[in-house]
Amino acid sequence: MADSAPVGSGIRSVRETNWSHLIVLLKAQWVGISAGVGLGLVWTVGKIAVPLLTQSAVDKAIVGDGSAFVWAIGIACAGLFTGVLTAGRRFFAFKESRMVETMLRERIHDHVLGLHPEYHDNAQTGQLMSRMSSDLNQVQMFVVMIPLTLSHVALILGVTGVLISLDPFLALIALLPLPFVNVSAKLFSNAIHPAVLAVQAEQAQLSTVVEESIAGVRVVKGFGAEAVRMKALETEADDIRNVSLRAAQIRAKYMPFLELLPLVGLVGVLGVGGLRVIDGSMTIGELVAFNFFVTLLVWPLRSIGMTVAFGQRAAAALERVHEVLSVEPAIADPPEPLVLPEISAGRMGAVRFSDVGFAYGAGARVLDRFDLDIEAGESIAIVGATGSGKSTIARLLLRFYDPQQGSITLDGIDLRSLRVDELRRTIGIVFEDTLLFHDTVAANIAFTVPSMDLQAEAGRIRAAAELAGAAGFIDDLPDGYDTVLGERGYSLSGGQRQRIAIARAIISNPRMLILDDATSAVDPSKEHEIRSAMATVMDGRTTLVIAHRPGTIAMADKVVLLDDGCICATGKHQELLDSYQPYREVLAALEPGESEAVVN
Amino acid sequence: MWHGAGVDPEDRLTRDDASQVLRRAARLARPYWRTALAAVGFVAMATSATIAGPLLVRFGIDTGIRTENRSALGVAVAAFGVVVIFAYIGSRRQYVLINRAGEGFLRELRLRLFAHIQRQSLGFFDEHKAGVLVARMTADIESMSELVQWGLLQFVSAGILLVVALCVLLVMSWQLTLVALAVLPVVVLASMRFQRVSNEAYLEVRERVGTNLSTLQENLAGVRVIQASGRVDEQRRRFFASNRGLYAAHLRTVKASTWYFGVVEFCGVAATALGVFAGGWLVGRGDVSVGTVVAVVLLLASLFEPVQQLSQLYNTVQAATASLKKMFDILDTEPEIYERHSAVDLPRSGALIVDGVGFTYPGAQRPALSDATLHVASGERVALVGPTGAGKSTLAKIVARLYDPSVGSVSLGGVDLVDATLSSLRSQIVVVPQEGFLFNGTVADNLRLADPSASDDDLWDALDRIGARRRFELMPEGLGTVVRERGSRLSAGERQLVSLGRAALVDPSVLVLDEATSNLDPGTEAEVEMALERLMSGRTVIVVAHRLSTVRRADRVVVCDKGRLVEVGTHAELLSIPNGRYAALQQAWLSSQPAVSDLTQG
Repeated sequence: MADSAPVGSGIRSVRETNWSHLIVLLKAQWVGISAGVGLGLVWTVGKIAVPLLTQSAVDKAIVGDGSAFVWAIGIACAGLFTGVLTAGRRFFAFKESRMVETMLRERIHDHVLGLHPEYHDNAQTGQLMSRMSSDLNQVQMFVVMIPLTLSHVALILGVTGVLISLDPFLALIALLPLPFVNVSAKLFSNAIHPAVLAVQAEQAQLSTVVEESIAGVRVVKGFGAEAVRMKALETEADDIRNVSLRAAQIRAKYMPFLELLPLVGLVGVLGVGGLRVIDGSMTIGELVAFNFFVTLLVWPLRSIGMTVAFGQRAAAALERVHEVLSVEPAIADPPEPLVLPEISAGRMGAVRFSDVGFAYGAGARVLDRFDLDIEAGESIAIVGATGSGKSTIARLLLRFYDPQQGSITLDGIDLRSLRVDELRRTIGIVFEDTLLFHDTVAANIAFTVPSMDLQAEAGRIRAAAELAGAAGFIDDLPDGYDTVLGERGYSLSGGQRQRIAIARAIISNPRMLILDDATSAVDPSKEHEIRSAMATVMDGRTTLVIAHRPGTIAMADKVVLLDDGCICATGKHQELLDSYQPYREVLAALEPGESEAVVN
Repeated sequence: MWHGAGVDPEDRLTRDDASQVLRRAARLARPYWRTALAAVGFVAMATSATIAGPLLVRFGIDTGIRTENRSALGVAVAAFGVVVIFAYIGSRRQYVLINRAGEGFLRELRLRLFAHIQRQSLGFFDEHKAGVLVARMTADIESMSELVQWGLLQFVSAGILLVVALCVLLVMSWQLTLVALAVLPVVVLASMRFQRVSNEAYLEVRERVGTNLSTLQENLAGVRVIQASGRVDEQRRRFFASNRGLYAAHLRTVKASTWYFGVVEFCGVAATALGVFAGGWLVGRGDVSVGTVVAVVLLLASLFEPVQQLSQLYNTVQAATASLKKMFDILDTEPEIYERHSAVDLPRSGALIVDGVGFTYPGAQRPALSDATLHVASGERVALVGPTGAGKSTLAKIVARLYDPSVGSVSLGGVDLVDATLSSLRSQIVVVPQEGFLFNGTVADNLRLADPSASDDDLWDALDRIGARRRFELMPEGLGTVVRERGSRLSAGERQLVSLGRAALVDPSVLVLDEATSNLDPGTEAEVEMALERLMSGRTVIVVAHRLSTVRRADRVVVCDKGRLVEVGTHAELLSIPNGRYAALQQAWLSSQPAVSDLTQG
């Protein structure tokens, strides 16, 4: 996913703030990270000790006549020391990097979940997901390198110091090729990254072809178009192979160089060092130590090159993360929230829109000088042409948006003076397309009451299901109320999903109910199943019905006809139908084919 | 990109299964053997420097330095230089060759698998979820690409290095080697244990990544419901739990690798210590030279890396084997609908006979259709009505030979569909599905799905025949308009028009329609209606009907119920049956919406 397009309308700011999200977390984890760095620095001592001990062993015990045993013990001890430190350094580096990744993911998730619906209208789920997965991987890969790189720098400095003190000229020859290792590791990492992204992009395209061919298998089979789809797939398969081979060529260009360059230094050490030993200005042990040290430096140098490249990628990832985190939530709790009066005897849920004006973004006014009174316990159907602002009314009531002008009150209290969660929990809503979560039927119904104990209050869940007319089919499900639903679970019909949604909306005994196009996604022949459930739950409860279909509209006490952002007629469904021509026209335009549905 | 990450029990294979799978893969890869073999040669070249280096250092020390023979030292240095260049050439070539073979193999696998999936009949797609099939074609094949890019190379070079280095060490001094390698069993045991523990841990990470992503996706997709239910904090808590679960799984892999890397580091140094110890003793006895000790110590270092690499590679191989197994399972599924050797072309005819057809979906208890008999005259229009699950869609699919009947037969112009060539079948009988399904590409690409050889003029003619030419002419890019995924740039009505255009391009004698349940935008509704009417005229039509107007326009109506054709006749005939099913249907409809019925009658 090579996208760098901004998500939503974040404010761009300077680079420092991108890093600040990471720095805060690094500070929070400072104990573990310092432990990793500290162990890494001590580790370098052990690493340097091994070749030095080997050098003395060769000179004193192998070339000379001393006892090799003492030196062998010394080397083994140094080995134990580095072994333990290698483990410790690695543990803290990986543990803390995973922790930072985990916490950053929670920060983004929590932030995004609290952002206003307008943000989500414009944001793409896929992009947000990649912020929280692949972008955070980049960050994690960089964070893990922090303690490792610091100890690698220490090791390089230490070894260089030792080699120079042994023999400055030979040190120069041995170390000369090594900076190239560092530089080409960075070049390699930068060159291979886009190639890998290109491979992923091609893989995604092939995936699209496969998905489409399977989703559209009836079309493919119906027209015998297998060969056409095969050709499309072959193109993508060829593309994948070609970009993969291009990536292989980049590896072929850099990897052998990276692997063999240090050996050039060893060739030089053998030649020049050999001559020095013959001259007597150097011991064989020192020559062996040189060999060891050069090999020792290869990996640290490579990893520093990689760290630089990782850092660049992490910076880009953090910038994208920052774009998400810098979006301020447009809807927030008031500093001193008021509390709604207690629900008593069902006479609650009076709604008043006074002089409300609203437009989406910089668009034209959807509602203008809009006034509407809904009495407690009354049901009102909002009817209007597409774009007349019907659904906007529901969104304003839920405070998905705030009006730019005028005010909305619930039981006499301005919506903006209430805690957002309290307001939303007190309004039950059924949307056009019901989203069920990957959880049991019971949990899906209890969704609007987070604190509910599913076992203890099974009766309450069942009661809600019965009111919503869902109890019958739930009992027939393989596991009843424990049947798992959702995309990967048991699939219900449209009418069944809507009835679960109605149960979900009423279980919290809301003071008001909104049915937003609740029947329009349902097969017309199944609409009656929902309609009777709706009639039951609407009884005596303040209800706002937004509907297309006359059968649903007719259920409300009163109909409000909306045109151009204001109310142009009010009355009972049948009265308006009989006497008001514009009403008939609006209804006919809304559902051209509706009247012809065959009810089974 | 989020699917296919799940772990199922199939990911754990028995040893027998695994070797069987790998043998079969090797047979499939036969065309790439030559390239792979050449690559192995270059791998050997590339590893030569690692082996030869210490040997040349030994020669330099013993023959050159110790005897103060400068020219011998020069020879050692020059040879070392040459070997490095030699290895460099081999190394460059190995990357290119092994990838050429591997990517070629994967491409072949993709094509073969996709072709096989496409050959399957509809029943296969009912049984296999789309997500699973997509995962086979993507995630499973991609899990092998790691093996192809790095794995094979590492496997071969680690193997060569291990064997050759061991031989060289033993030849130089078997006593020294045996002492120094006393730690090797520890490394091997540790590697085996690590491989087992980390395999489990990585499987768990994969599983957790999958569930964490789906929790995330669910929260993002359901953000409106979550906010409307005042449940933001609860969903945050749930995500926290799943996210911390992922962290715990990561931590397990970190712990597994932590002690392993520590042990390997220690063993490497311990081998040096043992080499030094034994070396000092053997040199003192005059059994080995100083150069040999140095060479052994240097070679030992290059012996531990391959062991480490091989143990890590094991996980990759295992994942790839599991993927291959799942793919082979699909390749072993024989398609149900196929063309007989003796198949003949269908005649151009619209006379359709359904004779005693019964059909049971695989795994279903009762038949979806039983004893269905229907004679349809050429050019006749038949509407199928009835409740969901009555068998009307099944009958439509059998008529189009998307399924073969379990009993009975369907024939067109006297030829049984089972005996027909698939190409003549698809050109004589065309199915137009409920909603116009479009593929990513242009309008022309989508029309050509029905006939890849059609010229632009043919496409315009087909659109003209259904009266839709003007609408597409008005688009700035005409037939070249890119419709995007699922045709999202076109309206629902326009998608339906393209779908009808496809059928017009084929010009079949029989049309099988599945009428849409939802409505189109008022603007295109009329246009689609007209196009459909034009397409149907002069053809035999079987329509799964949801609207009364469609039923009324049909020549005959067939009422389906519980898999049987219970009433067959004209609209008027069926209405006149006392207590008839059709009359009841009609009644239920009329009484449900009294308020609007008069609205549209006028």
